[in-house]
Amino acid sequence: MMSEKMNSVWSKLDRKATAIAEFTMRQYRTRISTWVVLGVGLGSMLLVALFYADAMNTQIEAIDNDQDSYDWDGDGYPTGQEVIHGTDPYNSNSYPIGIEPDPREKWINEDDFNWDNASFAQISKVGYDDDGDCRREGQLVSQSQKDNNGDSIPCNIVLIYSNYSQVLIISSDGNVDEDPDDEKYAKEALHRAFILGVGKMGIVYLLGIFLPLFLATGLIRDEMTNGTMHFMIAKPIARGEILVYRMLGYLGIVWPFLIGLCLLMSLLTGFMGPSESFFRLSDLAIWFTICIAAMLVTLVYGAIFSTFGILWKQGVVLAIILAAWELGMAFVSVLAGGDSAIQKFSVIGWGLMIVDAGAAMTWPDMAMFIEMGEWVGKQSCDRSTLGDECGPLIGNEPLRFFSSGHGLGVTNWVAALIASLVLIFQAAAAWFIGQSLFKGKEMDD
Amino acid sequence: MMPDLSQVGEAETKEWVPDNTAPVVMFDNVSKQYGRINALTSISFALSGGVTGVLGMNGAGKSTLFKLMMGKIKPSAGEVKLFGQNPWKNTAPYARVGFVPEHEKMHDWMTALDFITTFARLHGLTRDEAEKEATRVLNFVGLGDVMLKQIGRFSKGMRQRVKIAHALVNDPELIILDEPLQGCDPLARTSIMNVIRELGRMGRTVLVSSHILHEIERITEQIVILHNGRLLALGNSHAIREMLDQHPHKISITCEDPKALAKDVIDIEEVRGLSIPYANNLIIETQHFGVVHAKLPGIIVDNSHKVSQIDSPDDDLQSILRYLTGGS
Repeated sequence: MMSEKMNSVWSKLDRKATAIAEFTMRQYRTRISTWVVLGVGLGSMLLVALFYADAMNTQIEAIDNDQDSYDWDGDGYPTGQEVIHGTDPYNSNSYPIGIEPDPREKWINEDDFNWDNASFAQISKVGYDDDGDCRREGQLVSQSQKDNNGDSIPCNIVLIYSNYSQVLIISSDGNVDEDPDDEKYAKEALHRAFILGVGKMGIVYLLGIFLPLFLATGLIRDEMTNGTMHFMIAKPIARGEILVYRMLGYLGIVWPFLIGLCLLMSLLTGFMGPSESFFRLSDLAIWFTICIAAMLVTLVYGAIFSTFGILWKQGVVLAIILAAWELGMAFVSVLAGGDSAIQKFSVIGWGLMIVDAGAAMTWPDMAMFIEMGEWVGKQSCDRSTLGDECGPLIGNEPLRFFSSGHGLGVTNWVAALIASLVLIFQAAAAWFIGQSLFKGKEMDD
Repeated sequence: MMPDLSQVGEAETKEWVPDNTAPVVMFDNVSKQYGRINALTSISFALSGGVTGVLGMNGAGKSTLFKLMMGKIKPSAGEVKLFGQNPWKNTAPYARVGFVPEHEKMHDWMTALDFITTFARLHGLTRDEAEKEATRVLNFVGLGDVMLKQIGRFSKGMRQRVKIAHALVNDPELIILDEPLQGCDPLARTSIMNVIRELGRMGRTVLVSSHILHEIERITEQIVILHNGRLLALGNSHAIREMLDQHPHKISITCEDPKALAKDVIDIEEVRGLSIPYANNLIIETQHFGVVHAKLPGIIVDNSHKVSQIDSPDDDLQSILRYLTGGS
């Protein structure tokens, strides 16, 4: 029984597989270049994280989006206070009598978002007029003025998503949720934008392509050029096997590095990110998908680049050409998201799809969150009289840039699964071509 | 070059049993061309057992011959068989083959034991089995006491012996050594020659290449001569030696004090002439190469001369080749 087990195909395979994989990992560890590449990778990610830490620790200036904190007539009462008491904010003789004037700050960030039940799926009614400048009673205000959007409910916002034009129509009753907490929005938006930016472009694309470029291109080629491959192919082992086991060794170095890096970054952003509790536990999901995407992408590129190395002495040239194409596709994916079909003819397109699916799972409110930041900006621009700076809330634009949908038209879980399977298939195809080339290669030097 | 998908290459293990009815090595009308250059032309021979020297000048096709045996390259025409199997298509016979490449490069960062153990596992041995086997072969080539040192710190001769040990793992039937003596000092040469002779005595089939006839002569009597990619002779070295004895041979010794060495060497009866063409170099002329070559190490060691290299210039092989190809 025991000897049967010892002689099973698996145990034989296992001996050769672990021998070459271990050998390959040790070989990596003895090379300074390995440590330089991994060190630069880690260092650059930490450098970017410094900017993040800085942003998270910087006070974001509170902006008076609805400009009701000014005292236009100089009577000491801010506009917002005069409005709810029905006095004229532009007449210094008209002010609420017997009431202490509010400090200006009270009328900044005084009407935050109440969009908890916002939805793209159906017409939804959101918003609550926290500061009372819509709900106020008085002779100047008619019921119809409180219900601009005509849904028979005063002081709310109606959201209608048009499937046809794919636009969210936001119809507000006016003065509802019009001066949200800029800092709260900005920190959340910047936090998400950082994770998506560094995750997609930094870890999945840059590390995803540079680690294999430096570490996998020579997986077979270096041994052939050095003349040390002779020792390996003089043994009873198929060349296709050598390629797989060398790949295993390469993954044995790259994957733990990526896992460690993602873990480190998730801890950094988890502790420093805006949160009610001391750690943003829910973000672990997005870091998990970033890690999976980076691991799969390095697997595919590793298989492709080592194949390039087998194909040609200067295989790194081919690898760089592919890297340029992939960079283009990474931008297509980031900018157009799932709307572009061309990214499907790349590795990175599928890799980033996994992250997009992960982002949609981690932050289901993402699209609405972006819409509301933009909407407030537009409102404040419409209202702007003094040529003040106006526009989307801080953090809205970077978040909009790095955020995109996976565009597969299936649920997020299924999208992540499909993208992963496509990547695994790509890796298998690259390996198959690589081992065919390797088998047919005459080792003649 | 387009890939040739005809390689099968199942992962066989040490249990692979060679076909005993087939010759260990068989070349049937094999040719190999690189572009328009013929590296080997219509080579046919079969070998089983014993030590065979493959003799030829640099570029005669010795390495090409070995590469064909090791399935590194594919014959342009004809058939190569190891134990009746085509080595280009099937790597299984390597379970019973050991190969010592000509290349200098090794995994310098590994210890000798590590290196041999790692590659022994490719025969399907477990870690423990592989380490036991590695210790055995390293002791066999006389490196047992330094096996925990890094290969990078080894001398040329020790490195050659590590390569031989690598080839001897799993006790192969066929051992192929490509220029194993090149660049080694006299002591290393002697110990490597002893190892090869010992393998022959154990009944293994050994192929060893060299461009120096006397080296091969000291190892074996069965010689294959390659010249310009053609097989010139497959036969006994005695016949070749007779031809050779009609020519004086030179032995070139690189040493610290050639004058002192000359004084000691002049006492050998068979020495016909001595010259010091330049500092640190002594040329001995003789018609009895084997005798002089056998006496030299004793003289060098007894008088503690510092010798870095002993070479036999190609002249004698060249004259043999001239003779065989019908020249003067």
